[in-house]
Amino acid sequence: MKAAPFSYVRPTSPEGVLAELSLAEGEAKIIAGGQSLMPVLAMRLGRPPTLVDISRVPAWQSIDVGTHEVRIGAAVRQRAVERHRDLRVPLLSRALPWIGHREIRSRGTVCGSLAHADPASELPAVMVTLGARLGITGPGGDRELPADEFFRGAMTTALEPGEVLRHVTVPRARRGQGFGFAEMARRHGDFALVGITTMVQTEGDRVVRALLGAFGVADRPRLLDVTETVAEPLRAAEEDGASAAVAEALADAARDLVTTGGDKHASAGYRRRLVRVLGGRELVAAFRDSRKGESR
Amino acid sequence: MTLLLDQAASVVDRWRRRREDADTAVTRCEADELLRVDLTVNGRPATVHVAPRVTLADALRDHLGLTGTHLGCEHGVCGLCTVMVDGDAARSCLILACQVDGSEVVTVEGMGTPTDLHPLQESFGAHHALQCGFCTPGQIMSAYDLLSSEPGIEAAELPDRLSGVLCRCTGYRNIVDAVADVADRYPQGVPGPRNCGHAEPRLPRATLGGAGTPATLEAAEAASGPAEIAVPSGEPTAVVTVDTHAEAPIDAIWEIIEDTEALATCLPGAEIIADFGDDQYKGRMRVSLGPVRLAFLGDVKILERDDATHRVKVIGQAADASSGDVAAVVDLTAESRRDGGTDLRAVAELHMVGRIAQFGRGLVNDVSTDMFHQFAANIDAASRGEAPVEAAPASALSIVFTLIRSRIKALVRRITGRN
Repeated sequence: MKAAPFSYVRPTSPEGVLAELSLAEGEAKIIAGGQSLMPVLAMRLGRPPTLVDISRVPAWQSIDVGTHEVRIGAAVRQRAVERHRDLRVPLLSRALPWIGHREIRSRGTVCGSLAHADPASELPAVMVTLGARLGITGPGGDRELPADEFFRGAMTTALEPGEVLRHVTVPRARRGQGFGFAEMARRHGDFALVGITTMVQTEGDRVVRALLGAFGVADRPRLLDVTETVAEPLRAAEEDGASAAVAEALADAARDLVTTGGDKHASAGYRRRLVRVLGGRELVAAFRDSRKGESR
Repeated sequence: MTLLLDQAASVVDRWRRRREDADTAVTRCEADELLRVDLTVNGRPATVHVAPRVTLADALRDHLGLTGTHLGCEHGVCGLCTVMVDGDAARSCLILACQVDGSEVVTVEGMGTPTDLHPLQESFGAHHALQCGFCTPGQIMSAYDLLSSEPGIEAAELPDRLSGVLCRCTGYRNIVDAVADVADRYPQGVPGPRNCGHAEPRLPRATLGGAGTPATLEAAEAASGPAEIAVPSGEPTAVVTVDTHAEAPIDAIWEIIEDTEALATCLPGAEIIADFGDDQYKGRMRVSLGPVRLAFLGDVKILERDDATHRVKVIGQAADASSGDVAAVVDLTAESRRDGGTDLRAVAELHMVGRIAQFGRGLVNDVSTDMFHQFAANIDAASRGEAPVEAAPASALSIVFTLIRSRIKALVRRITGRN
């Protein structure tokens, strides 16, 4: 398990990164935390001739917390985000501990996970659910894409050759919003068989918006607006058994979300069932979470 | 708002860019070149010269001789190679050595010494939390990270939070118990590493490494002065007793033994490079055994010398740049034989740390015995005024040869039932 030889370059500025990428003519691979890339290199599934290390670009090392948004630079490690005390992005904070293990998050970066775009990974689904925007820089200048346009397929993104993901801008939670997250895997740290992200926005006891996201079910994170489907069952959510009623209502949504065929780990039917059960549970959790401010 | 944020960020960006202009040094290394990486390992500065593809795990093990960090899967699944990097546990097989330039790394060797174990190491012993021991370094480092970053963690959470390191003996219950015990005893946070930044390195010298290792050692000056020598505490790794005899009479033999420099030339591969007086010396010794090449630089001191009983007790301690530390207390006695020759007996207590300790105890015995026989033969020759039978550093082949011969003899004896 030794990587094939490659050359290594570590620029210290965004311009430097772009220059190195253009020198290598689309052959270079970017490394930040390397927690997804290193296994690929070790198994020689990939043999990039050059690695461009972006982990020491100071402009990309910060978490900037604004009033309504949080911007996470390309070199920011997952554990740094996990430790941040006033992010106010509950869905992100709920999802982070599910990424690999602590030892992985010590090195792995948030943007690295997004750029790698593993369909079973947590962060792409979180970003799609939150409507985050991905900041990209390249030879043609800077551009920004909403998360749902960034992910194009399994490990495929909208990044053109020579482009780099430089940061992600995530909206912070607003009053009346609640979130839910759940994941089913054989063991903690394994790839998710199914993961669920939910957001419910309420005004009083009225459900204004309900989103159901799922990952590990298709070639990219999926998101459905289920407001009409679950608004009624959710209103009854103060009572026990509400999540079963919500799950019941999600049968069509589950069929729609799960497009992957079954594999040796789980059949498509089992995945649909997980989407319904976990989805129902987490929509109810998000509904209750959204009303916490009201009761206080 | 977004606009404001953008503006603020661009100001910051511009300011940063200005600062970077002063320092836009791009680090670059071709695939077939070596990159110099300076880091701190267990509190001591270390330098390695590595190709870009070399992982931190391999740099620690192969370049710095810190083989406490184990490699299991080498692709980030098993967690055995977990070390602390800049205060957080990480898998050293998933980090390139060239990425940790300037970082602080703590390995299991930094946690404690055999005589001063870290509470986690102590607890793993007490709870029988290791069976084969292969995952233990990873478990200890992961547990240390958990207990130091989240003191007061609930015992019920431990199994999940320790799941980043696999144990193929499946001895998880005892591992969790060991960690829970320490968590319980230190609710305010577990104590820090115990073997970091010691002035007197008790482990392989972390400043050596890279392609130039043997040369660096070769160039090592005796100028470092006499070292503190102490009889090691604790059980020796191996005790070797060897009896042989020389044809020369005892007086001639004793004359050689008394003259340390003459004596050193009789020891295959050894060389005295400085005499500090008061029976203390600095010396070099090279051993090569098949693919194994060891080069020791160390200190020797005569502890006792008794002319009446023809007994001399010597202590030596040395470090091989990449393989570990070895210390030996050798008790050598000479006695007159009836046939006019001399009986020689040596009892050596060997203490070994690092990769060299894994060498296999049986092999250590065989090698030491062979070396002593050669040593005795050389003393015999020297007492007759002859040159040592074997030119010093070339001892390798003959050692290997006789080793194989004696192994075969032993085998034949076992097969034929003779004793």
